[in-house]
Amino acid sequence: MSAAVATGLELDSAITLSQARVGCDMQVRVLSGPGCERLRRMGFCEEIRLMKLSGGRNLLCRVCGTKMAISRELADQVWVTPVE
Amino acid sequence: MSGNGMGEAATVVLIGNPNAGKSTLFNALTGANRKVGNYAGVSVDAAEGGFYTPHGKKIRLLDLPGCYSLRGGSPDEQIAAEGLMGNLRGTNAPDLAVCVVDASALERHLRLVLEVIDLGLPVVVVLNKVDLAENGGLRLDAQLLSEELGVPVVPMRADRGKGLLELKQALRFPFPAGSRVKAAESTAGVADHQARILQICETAARRPDEDQLTLSDKLDRVLLHPVLGWVAFAAVMFLVMWAIFSFAGIPMGWIEALQGLVSGWVEGMLPNGELRSLVVDGMIGGVFGVLVFLPQIILLFLFIGLLESSGYMARAAYLMDGIMSRAGLSGKAFLPLFSSYACAIPGVMATRTIDSAKERLATIFVAPWMSCSARLPVYFLIVPLLLHESEGTWKQAVILFCIYATGTITALLVALLLRMKLGKDEGQRSFMLELPPYQAPQWRYIFRHVAERAMSFITKAGTVILGLSILLWALSTYPRQAGRNESDALAHSAMGRMGSWIEPVVKPLGFDGRIGTAVLTSFAAREVFNSSLAVLFRVEEGESDEESRSLLRDRIAAATWPDGRKLFTPLTLISLLVFYIYALQCLPTSAVVAREAGSLKWAVGQFLFMSGFAYLASFLVYQIGSLFL
Repeated sequence: MSAAVATGLELDSAITLSQARVGCDMQVRVLSGPGCERLRRMGFCEEIRLMKLSGGRNLLCRVCGTKMAISRELADQVWVTPVE
Repeated sequence: MSGNGMGEAATVVLIGNPNAGKSTLFNALTGANRKVGNYAGVSVDAAEGGFYTPHGKKIRLLDLPGCYSLRGGSPDEQIAAEGLMGNLRGTNAPDLAVCVVDASALERHLRLVLEVIDLGLPVVVVLNKVDLAENGGLRLDAQLLSEELGVPVVPMRADRGKGLLELKQALRFPFPAGSRVKAAESTAGVADHQARILQICETAARRPDEDQLTLSDKLDRVLLHPVLGWVAFAAVMFLVMWAIFSFAGIPMGWIEALQGLVSGWVEGMLPNGELRSLVVDGMIGGVFGVLVFLPQIILLFLFIGLLESSGYMARAAYLMDGIMSRAGLSGKAFLPLFSSYACAIPGVMATRTIDSAKERLATIFVAPWMSCSARLPVYFLIVPLLLHESEGTWKQAVILFCIYATGTITALLVALLLRMKLGKDEGQRSFMLELPPYQAPQWRYIFRHVAERAMSFITKAGTVILGLSILLWALSTYPRQAGRNESDALAHSAMGRMGSWIEPVVKPLGFDGRIGTAVLTSFAAREVFNSSLAVLFRVEEGESDEESRSLLRDRIAAATWPDGRKLFTPLTLISLLVFYIYALQCLPTSAVVAREAGSLKWAVGQFLFMSGFAYLASFLVYQIGSLFL
């Protein structure tokens, strides 16, 4: 029960990848939007850890050892939480 | 299944994510020279080759385009899925699938492996670039990975041939059965796959706790910087143009000297007459008029190969996305467009990586406006005429840079209009691209590729161009009337008459009948323009090498209209350049466009549009320019 509450609270604090700070380690919590399937195919899956490398029109991030560029529209569909 | 008997070849497919190293492995196993590069989407079609295992089993190997999932939407991903199912025309159902994965990105690549395993096919996993991954701090356990997946796993470094023998051993007959792990988890969906991948990687491929800053990261701070990145991009492009002009001078001199020697030898062997004229003016003049630009072609392919092999191409696509999006395209479309600088045919085919059908059509339509290597002999003949001899090669490089920029900018503007006409995409299409780590060029592949392209150019000069040169010589010589001087004889010939018919059409562009004829003949192949000029302006070998070297340019520079006005004025030269930037004079490209667009009308429309556009642009340049000059 407490674990479920903790997970719920953690999800409440999730932000989109566009909003995340550059240089922070993040964990993907939820994918939400029309680009979900495409994002998953490219490796942006739930529970995956990533690091945002730069912001801007197209964001740069490192996902599982690969540097990826994704548009802000897609980054808005990736909900992340910081990794301690 | 095709290979159950020992005498029959077994069919094995190579499948994996883009840029995993499939084509590199294919080349290493079969000795082929399939195009490789360090960015996603280099291979967009299937290729077949063969090799023998150490046990004497013949393997028919099929290299499939990269795909992220068997349910991918882009044409190249569909080809990969079809190939795996044995549905590609001319291929059998595979007996085994070799899944190539990049060891440093296992979490992403294993997803496709699990999809393939779920099909029930025997699978061997190739853990490629394994030493690079371990140097990056990844702790890999191939044995554990094999146990987790239930299939053989072979660590490799395909570009250096490491692990090839082990892979061939793993392909011994009979092939391993499909994974037993798959049967236990046959209900696996996307979420289950993901959970399983994380669990496998937790044990078999542990990442270091902290991200390390790599050399690629440091380079990207400059090369992807919003301002410095563009400076670097422009500098790289300009450097390529400058190097092509600067470094090619010496080998061009050798080829021109060779032309002088061959012509001199023939002149010594044959008496003055038609046969000597055919060989010297028609055959040698026509072929060497094109062949002399071989060094530039070699340099262009060398630099394109270096850029593709280094990993910079994906960075250029990232930078270009902002500009491309204003034209209704994405940064992904930049890669096929850049390929078209070498040749429009692979460029048009490379559009298969584009998900959106409408974006793909627009990219196919404008790709031939990226100045391909066949235009270079024309540019290299004309550009120096715009400048004084004493002016440096950097000015020629600036003009060449402007030529490329003109074609590219116009292509983007037309793409924008086309996208507006075609309408918006049905689904959301947003930019997403892998940026692979930079790597040292694969010199062996690059040299083989450049040699292949050079041979193709020489073969074309020795066959198509030679044949057309002989035809052009005949047309410019017959019907012959005795007692006429050379100029009158040419005017009386079939080509001279053709020129007088064409002249009213091309005069508004600043061309006379001879230039018009040369332009018309170059619709067979662009390079024929040079051969036609060589025949039409009757180049005769000078006494010294130095004299013969510049004769074609000198004769062109000295050519006049009947009233004595200079024919090749700067405005005429610019008008000519503009025509060649825009005209689509390549039948093979039109054939590929018809196939890729799935419509002959599209190819015919493109040809008519580009030809009309070239005429109109050339007309406007000459007429408007005449008001000021």
